Amino acid sequence: MGSRTALQTVLEGILGSGNVYFQPPASVSMNYPAIVYNRDYSAVKFAANKPYSLTKRYAVTVIDKNPDSSIPDKVAALPMCLFSRHFTADNLNHDVYNLYF
Amino acid sequence: MTKLLWDQVSERRFETGVDQGVLYIPTNGVYSIGYAWNGLTAVTESPGGAEASPLYADNQVYLNLVSSETFGGTIEAYTYPDAFAQCDGTATPSTGVSIGQQARKTFGLAYRTKVGNDVSGQDLGYKIHLVWGALAAPSEKAYATVNDSPEAITFSWAITTTPVAVTGYKPTATLTVDSTKVTPANLQVLEDALYGSAGTDPRLPLPDEVIAMFAGALTSATPVSPTFVSATGVITIPATTGVDYRRGDTNAIVTGTTTVAGTTGAKLIIYATPKAGYYFPAMTDDDWSFVRTA
Repeated sequence: MGSRTALQTVLEGILGSGNVYFQPPASVSMNYPAIVYNRDYSAVKFAANKPYSLTKRYAVTVIDKNPDSSIPDKVAALPMCLFSRHFTADNLNHDVYNLYF
Repeated sequence: MTKLLWDQVSERRFETGVDQGVLYIPTNGVYSIGYAWNGLTAVTESPGGAEASPLYADNQVYLNLVSSETFGGTIEAYTYPDAFAQCDGTATPSTGVSIGQQARKTFGLAYRTKVGNDVSGQDLGYKIHLVWGALAAPSEKAYATVNDSPEAITFSWAITTTPVAVTGYKPTATLTVDSTKVTPANLQVLEDALYGSAGTDPRLPLPDEVIAMFAGALTSATPVSPTFVSATGVITIPATTGVDYRRGDTNAIVTGTTTVAGTTGAKLIIYATPKAGYYFPAMTDDDWSFVRTA
């Protein structure tokens, strides 16, 4: 379990650029390839009648024009990461992962 | 005569949850030190024994003999206090180094469960469960790979118990106190003993002392500090009404004088416990450390 800013650093390292966006507003103009991620869930373990540990889950989307991009594979290699789905929109490939961090 | 009524308002009671686990390590049968047990997820009580053995005569059941009852259970938690390692067959030759398959030490346990009803929800009160003479059996620890979702190992220990004596009753390994039925002041005395307070270490009183706490009004007793001659190592124990003084190394009750064995630097802790029918008020200093200077 790390902080959100630590995850930002990890994703920027994978992408090799600063095009990593956390919950960007619709008005943001993106440069590709890019990674967009947002919080979508928290896994909670309970003990002694209280939450004992909490791990945040992020939906991480790799957006790239190149359908054979190696970036999705690098994201998929992160611990506690699971591929969710792939789709294309506006001639951009989207790979969505669920990542606990 | 009164007609029976069911499910009246405030009578729909239930129990739930488990928290405030405390581990107590005994020395010579005295549970004088407690450790908070974090990550406690379940305590399952599994009494055994009490098996009926019918004897037949004249073509019918003539007598039904019942075997003695035992108390056991299972503790489940995400982690355990370091002090529990010795109860789990682990010795620590040096800090951070542990070896297994060692002798298992018995321990005491306290935990709390919630009592609720239809009016107060889960906050009507609670029960404090006390266990003495517990012995943990070897248990499986299934370490597994990290996968696509966060998981934590839930440790589990099956325990058996050796009952301790109770005046006027059969020996027992378990006792329960219901906060909704006892006097709050007396309950506070028990909780101060179990969980410690400023100046006093947590400890697990034996059943007789717990029963005495709720037998009626308790008398306040304030321990007086023993006096010490550091050059000779002689500790003089004061005679204080309602107070037992004990050696920290053996838990034996001491009176009169006792000596710190050894030479310069040798240390002995003397601590005080209330006698039956007495209690120590909050903010009481109940232990003293004495170090020889010659």
